[in-house]
Amino acid sequence: MSTERGPEGAPGRDLPGTIIAAAFILLGAVFWWDTTDMSDPDSYVFPRTVIALMIGASLLLILRNLVHGGGRHHRSAEGSWPRRLGLVAAMLLGALAMPLVGFLPAGVAVFLAILALAMYDPWTPYRRLVFPLVGLAIVVGFHVLFSEVLRVPLPVGSLFE
Amino acid sequence: MLPGIDYFAAALTPFNIALALGGVVAGTIVGSLPGLTATMAVAVLVPLTFAMEPASALILMGAIYTGAIYGGAYSAVLLNTPGTPSAIATTFDGYPMAKRGDGDLAITAACLASVVGGLVGALALLLLAPPLAEVALAFGPVEYFWLAIFGLSLIAALSEGSLLKGLIGGCFGLLLSTIGVAEISSDVRFTFGSRTLLGGIEVVSALIGLYCIPVLIDMVATPDRHLQVAATPRGFRLPEALAAAWRGKFNLLRSSVIGTLVGILPGAGGSIAGLVAYSEARRASKHPERFGKGEIDGVQATEAANNATVGGGFIPTLVLGIPGTPPDAVILGALLVQGVRTGPNLFTEQGSIVYTFIYGLLLATVLMLPAGLVIGRYAYRFIVTVPKALLVPTVAFMTVIGSYAIRNSISDVVVMIVLGVLGWGVGRFGFAVSPIVLGLILGAIAEQGFVQAWTIGAAVGDLPGMFFGRPISLGIVALTLLSLFYPLVRARFMKRPNGAPGEGDYVD
Repeated sequence: MSTERGPEGAPGRDLPGTIIAAAFILLGAVFWWDTTDMSDPDSYVFPRTVIALMIGASLLLILRNLVHGGGRHHRSAEGSWPRRLGLVAAMLLGALAMPLVGFLPAGVAVFLAILALAMYDPWTPYRRLVFPLVGLAIVVGFHVLFSEVLRVPLPVGSLFE
Repeated sequence: MLPGIDYFAAALTPFNIALALGGVVAGTIVGSLPGLTATMAVAVLVPLTFAMEPASALILMGAIYTGAIYGGAYSAVLLNTPGTPSAIATTFDGYPMAKRGDGDLAITAACLASVVGGLVGALALLLLAPPLAEVALAFGPVEYFWLAIFGLSLIAALSEGSLLKGLIGGCFGLLLSTIGVAEISSDVRFTFGSRTLLGGIEVVSALIGLYCIPVLIDMVATPDRHLQVAATPRGFRLPEALAAAWRGKFNLLRSSVIGTLVGILPGAGGSIAGLVAYSEARRASKHPERFGKGEIDGVQATEAANNATVGGGFIPTLVLGIPGTPPDAVILGALLVQGVRTGPNLFTEQGSIVYTFIYGLLLATVLMLPAGLVIGRYAYRFIVTVPKALLVPTVAFMTVIGSYAIRNSISDVVVMIVLGVLGWGVGRFGFAVSPIVLGLILGAIAEQGFVQAWTIGAAVGDLPGMFFGRPISLGIVALTLLSLFYPLVRARFMKRPNGAPGEGDYVD
């Protein structure tokens, strides 16, 4: 992890921090607007207090960044962005596919996709054979544990019902 | 002489010893899997207990419960993912220890601390149950509110350099906790028409996402090893862990007492106990700047406290019939099925059941030491030796199935992934995820306590007196202020040779 700094080691302006703080202000405004529909003070007194605090802290952060700069605690994202995005996409698509194709097929597909993404060593014949089989065993093992032992109703898939 | 010592032999039957050992092992394994909580572990195995004697059933459930609370430390240390919510604060120092190659030491230290905490909690149950049960009755809504605020004061310590960013993250977590149907007024809040959000953000799924997904995103991006590995095998590192436990004996004792007392409070639970004990350990430490960077005292404090909640939680459960923690609620239900009537007279009228159970719980806690050390060693070896290409998809799959299993909901899986990506994204720019988690965990307790206290205070026309006029509240407020400002006061009085701020000082 490295730390991003401005010229000659001076802290940068923390533009990302400022943008995120602005996003939190916007989020707070949207949440505040939602509280206007609530009639019972018990419903909105606590969230409004929190929203006010969040917006206040965000404004202070923006002010501090504009006046003094910031950026002391930024971590650079080293490594492969396609693999990062691939991991998130595989997990999301797998989760969304589970109600359709069932937990087991989607789980195996997600496992194999992430296995490919996380592989940095050469695909030797041994790895080609053993790693997918291990993955299959893990997914099936957890499936049996949750569905049979723990009685968790895992999705069977509407396509197969 | 210990009360009910006559029943000690009854707890030591081969059947009960086998139940205690089996329960601890099963609980430890279940607790180590993210998404499978202690409550779920106990609930799943309750039907097995219906055919048993009540005391044996209690021993099995107590052993599973205590094992699951300890098991949560494995994934907290090795994967930065609390296996159970009780192990949230274990991640703060356990994972940094593992990253630098001391994961084996962290796990052994966690095991020792869990045993100490478990014993203190069980001894409190044995010796002080009736008077301690009164503590639960002395806590009203306002005390719960201040307890949550005390937990939130940890934001100052967990902000990784920017208190303002930590505060924003904490507020965001609190807002997340308000999504869904309001507990008090039943208004639907912040769902923006989405049926998915009606049930609110599921805390365990959110925890898995916020802590584990960022680790996975970084793991998959580089070929580097997940954890540092020692060149030569170092075994359990028990002497080092014992030496650390001896050095931190006051920390262990204080954290165990905190865990016992918080366990007594209905609804508070191991996560709050761990956070409060961590906060106190950091405040009392000679090196608070080391906390969050791999300080073994932080691991010990959390693990001692969360295991002490097991014995502590049984106190109101057995004496008052009010479950101290969520697993206690499940166990209480099983007891009622067994025909056991909880109440102040339980210790005299059904002493054979209660005392056999308490001695069985003590036995299970002692058995956790060898069982925990052996399982912990294998868990550590598995994580450090398994190829990354298999570790990443295995952990990713466990996060999916674990977050699904809480409420049998794919929506929770999607929320888990989205929150994880969000946590990774904002974490890059100094918005640490721990304050968000604190807000999410403590939000419901804070809001419920705040609104109820506000309503009562307004009704009696004395709001300031409601919030600031009760002795326990004032004590918690004082501790909160001490926790927040003690490091600043001490830093001012400590001489610094070059006048530079110390490592870990806040920049805001």
